[in-house]
Amino acid sequence: MILLLAPLIALAVVGGAALLLLVQRGGQRELVGSVVESQRAQRQLPSILYFTGESCTICHTAQRPALRSLAAGLGEDIEIREIDIAVEPTLARHYRVMSLPTTIVLDASGQVTDINVGFASGETLRRQLVDAGMPVAA
Amino acid sequence: MAVVAFDRSVLKVNQMILMVAIVLGYVIGLAYPGIAWILPVLAVMMLAAVASPSLNIPRILYTQVLRPSGIVKPRIVQEDPAPHRFAQLLGGVFLAAASIFVITDLLLVAWVLAWIVAALAFLNFAFNICAGCIMYAQLVRIGLLPLQREPAL
Repeated sequence: MILLLAPLIALAVVGGAALLLLVQRGGQRELVGSVVESQRAQRQLPSILYFTGESCTICHTAQRPALRSLAAGLGEDIEIREIDIAVEPTLARHYRVMSLPTTIVLDASGQVTDINVGFASGETLRRQLVDAGMPVAA
Repeated sequence: MAVVAFDRSVLKVNQMILMVAIVLGYVIGLAYPGIAWILPVLAVMMLAAVASPSLNIPRILYTQVLRPSGIVKPRIVQEDPAPHRFAQLLGGVFLAAASIFVITDLLLVAWVLAWIVAALAFLNFAFNICAGCIMYAQLVRIGLLPLQREPAL
């Protein structure tokens, strides 16, 4: 009957590890979503919210370079904001981000027009930005 | 680090098999302790899946049965499968360790390790929280695993 303890011990181990992780992250600052909303509203431009995290390897190896090239090509026409979900969990919760990377395309009024869960190529994001109202170069 | 089209449903099937087999094995094991030998079987399944896709039983089950019959739908994402492979390897190592405790008749320790694997599989299955991937990233961060990283945007 001692075997009955097995799931309890295992859950305590996993729960303890999760708690440690949370405490470790606890001191980091949070940024309230409304601040971002107001900043974006002032600029009146489509934008991308790029949700990333320390544990997300593809974010660092693929998504960030793709966004960097996109930003280099589009200049001032868009705003890309990188958000570490550990640092800004409120914003991640606000947009219901469950997987990394996630990129969210917003039109000039701040409405979500596209959500990409997983890697999104620069071409995909560019197309979505055009759909969101980004001026297209003649 | 290669970004490839990657079907997350394979992982979900793998996690479901692990959870069902471990929980069911544990419950049956309360009456019939010999069922603990399912843990070495699961360990072999996990480690074989890491070794080669052709030996990946959950993948075979998914591609040959579950996907064609429409029971499980594909969830294709563009990502690097390396962290997930590492997570699978970690699960395999935990189950291999559990197997050693089965052989030495330390069933409590064996089932604790198995339940840890089941709990982590559940976290990944239900919430996409991949503990193995987090560990992979930490190993990269401290330089034990190579990874090219770009500076922040």
